[in-house]
Amino acid sequence: MTQSLVEMRGITMRFPGVTALDGVDFESRAGEVHAVVGENGAGKSTLMKILAGVYQPDRGEILLRGQPVRISSPHEAQLLGISIIYQELNLLPDLTVAENVFLGREPRGKFGLIDSRALELGAREVLHRLEVDIDPRVRLGRLSVSQQQMVEIAKALSLNARIVIMDEPSAALGGRDLDKLFEVIAALKKNNVAVIYISHRLAEVFQVADRVTVFKDGKVIGTHVVSEIDRPSLVRMMIGRTLSETFPPRGKQIGQEVLRVEGLCCGEKLTGASLSVHQGEIVGIAGLVGSGRTELAQAIFGARHIDAGEVRIKGKKVSLGSPRDGLRHKLGFLTEDRNLEGLVMGLSVRENAALPSLDRRQRFGFVDSRAEGRVVAEMAEGLRVRTPSLSQEVENLSGGTRQKVVLAKWLISGPEVLIFDEPTRGIDVGSKAEIWQLMRDLANQGKAILMISSELPEIVGISDQIVVMHRGCVVGEMPGETATEEKVMMLATYGESHGE
Amino acid sequence: MVSDSARVPRLRQWWQRLWDEDRELLTIFAILGVLFLIGMIALPAFRSPRNLFNVLRQAVALGLVSIGQTMAVLVGGIDLSVGSTISLIGVYTTGLMAQYTSLGAVSLIVLAMIVIALVIGLVNALVITRLHVAPFIATMGVGAIIQGFVLLYAKRPGGAIAPGWDYFAEGMIGPVPFPVIFLLVLVGIAFFFLRKTAAGRHVAATGGSEVIARLSGIQTRRVTAYAFMISAFAAALTGLFLTSRMGAGDPLMGGLNYDRYDLDSVTAVLLGGTRLGGGKGGVVGTLAGVLLVSLLNNLFNLADINPYIQWIIKGVIVVGAVAVYASRKPVEAK
Repeated sequence: MTQSLVEMRGITMRFPGVTALDGVDFESRAGEVHAVVGENGAGKSTLMKILAGVYQPDRGEILLRGQPVRISSPHEAQLLGISIIYQELNLLPDLTVAENVFLGREPRGKFGLIDSRALELGAREVLHRLEVDIDPRVRLGRLSVSQQQMVEIAKALSLNARIVIMDEPSAALGGRDLDKLFEVIAALKKNNVAVIYISHRLAEVFQVADRVTVFKDGKVIGTHVVSEIDRPSLVRMMIGRTLSETFPPRGKQIGQEVLRVEGLCCGEKLTGASLSVHQGEIVGIAGLVGSGRTELAQAIFGARHIDAGEVRIKGKKVSLGSPRDGLRHKLGFLTEDRNLEGLVMGLSVRENAALPSLDRRQRFGFVDSRAEGRVVAEMAEGLRVRTPSLSQEVENLSGGTRQKVVLAKWLISGPEVLIFDEPTRGIDVGSKAEIWQLMRDLANQGKAILMISSELPEIVGISDQIVVMHRGCVVGEMPGETATEEKVMMLATYGESHGE
Repeated sequence: MVSDSARVPRLRQWWQRLWDEDRELLTIFAILGVLFLIGMIALPAFRSPRNLFNVLRQAVALGLVSIGQTMAVLVGGIDLSVGSTISLIGVYTTGLMAQYTSLGAVSLIVLAMIVIALVIGLVNALVITRLHVAPFIATMGVGAIIQGFVLLYAKRPGGAIAPGWDYFAEGMIGPVPFPVIFLLVLVGIAFFFLRKTAAGRHVAATGGSEVIARLSGIQTRRVTAYAFMISAFAAALTGLFLTSRMGAGDPLMGGLNYDRYDLDSVTAVLLGGTRLGGGKGGVVGTLAGVLLVSLLNNLFNLADINPYIQWIIKGVIVVGAVAVYASRKPVEAK
């Protein structure tokens, strides 16, 4: 058996409100491709960021070739021979390709000056290894997303590291580029490099990996040799329900169609999505990160330019050029990132909740604060917002309470369609159930609800109808009653149903 | 193969690309060129070599401090303490030179001033990176503290300079004023630093994205410290230059009084196309921005234009130029 090159023992990592990793053991061997899979938020990326020196774990130790090490910064990780391709592109658009590849490690010539020739040649050499035709002198911002992804990979390779971590390197790659990536991985393996490969696409795992470790809720569920496991059991391990969650009963009175989307396209991320939502119905949109879910929601709300396709509200075709149009057509959008896009942190609960409806609450051009206070107070009581007072700044509230404030904010503007993007992300279990109940209550009151979620139990548990997206397209639809997490996961990872 | 019809689109493509990449420099040099032509054609007094050197000479004080400001803005910050740093260096230098005038003493004074400036720059950087105070406030606060020290030391203009010290501002090498050469050499060094040294590249990288720079293994705190130390160093040079020109020190020479070197240097840097927020830009643009300010003043004086009209024209140029820069398409919104 090969010796492990790097070993992580009992790694625990807490962020405010969540335990991202809970006593995780993980090891990676030289000359082996070790795949890491799990749902969004399972802790995969956090573990890799610890290995790359971005985070310091609260507990646990890291052994490199059997010796305990402390990786206190990305700089140190590089010195230890660890390189990482991050999930998000980490490149500077204003630098050239070559400068990006060697950022922070520019080859020095005489007097410690940058050796531009060596810089360019070095970049040319790694790009050549990847067999991509990119001019190293070109400014990065001029490249397409998939070309940039290849540059990101080149950057990691140029370190000649002993451990290469790839956090969803394939997210922006297609066909030929993907094949090249796999060739590079094979070459790394032959050179006795330890490759850690994170991916959502299970097909890739079976294609490149030797072993696979499954993460779930910050814990390792198990590590298996790839040749000894099949897809359905891997999917089952990924889902493996640990919490018994209570979902409200499904809706009974589905009314007339409120929202209809036909062949919506915008940019590269959304290439064809159709769906319909009825009164009293919760439609769940499932799909992996990057499958175009959020883009779809933004386009419906008017926050994203629509290239093709149409949105109909109550049968009437509408044009949505800005979120203001969305509001006018009685749409409400609860964004994924409540802290950045949903609430203004320095403002109070009342001010936040009244924000989108300020126009209607003016008298002689001034905000009628009495009316504002009254409306918000009613809404806050209805939603059971737990805050010491309405003048409390939202900064000091918990995630669940914040989500309710966002909800109050949209409800006050009287929407007929509510779009929830990850409604329960970062919220504790108790508050989750409350949010679900609120969503169901709203549906029962006749609102149409569109919900994007990465959490499969949530999708399956609460949706009346489920729409699955894969790479910018809607690839399947099924009623919530008969859906299973396996079916949804299969569609979301492969883009087509496998009859297993 | 290459027919005329093929050449035209290629030319257009070339131009499009140049415009996409370097619209800031193109714009500022175009404005400079137009103003220069106006002067050459309309104002006989403008044409004399003496006047043209005057334009350059007038640019030196603002030029020196703006080179440093370029670094502070490029790294993602702003340095509003340069005005009071200039005053501090000014009053200390003239205060000391009033008593000690030997060559050795003057060298020591200059060295001491530079050390003081480097410490100021380091303090700015530490307040920003360790105490996490936004650069705008951090440098404004440090600037206020420095100004307090200045006024404790000297309440009114005074002091003197050592004999020969006036060479810095008034000396000539052949027909060329010494300070102009000094400025151009410094621009050259700064250009070289940003282009050819790793530290210089890291300044722009850190300004482009602190997170990405850090994840790439760059020690961003150290880089920020370099940038602000250079900024303070450049302010010290301006302070020394001003003592040479004025022959005395003034507690308000760096700001508050007539020239606001803090805000004027930021204006010159932005006119020169360096992006507020950092990541893109350089000293060649800054030099052009400084020359623009200096050229405008010269033309206004020669043409005897009402000072209030001058304000209006300057404001229009600043807003117009920066609006052109802002027309750059944003990098793919997330």
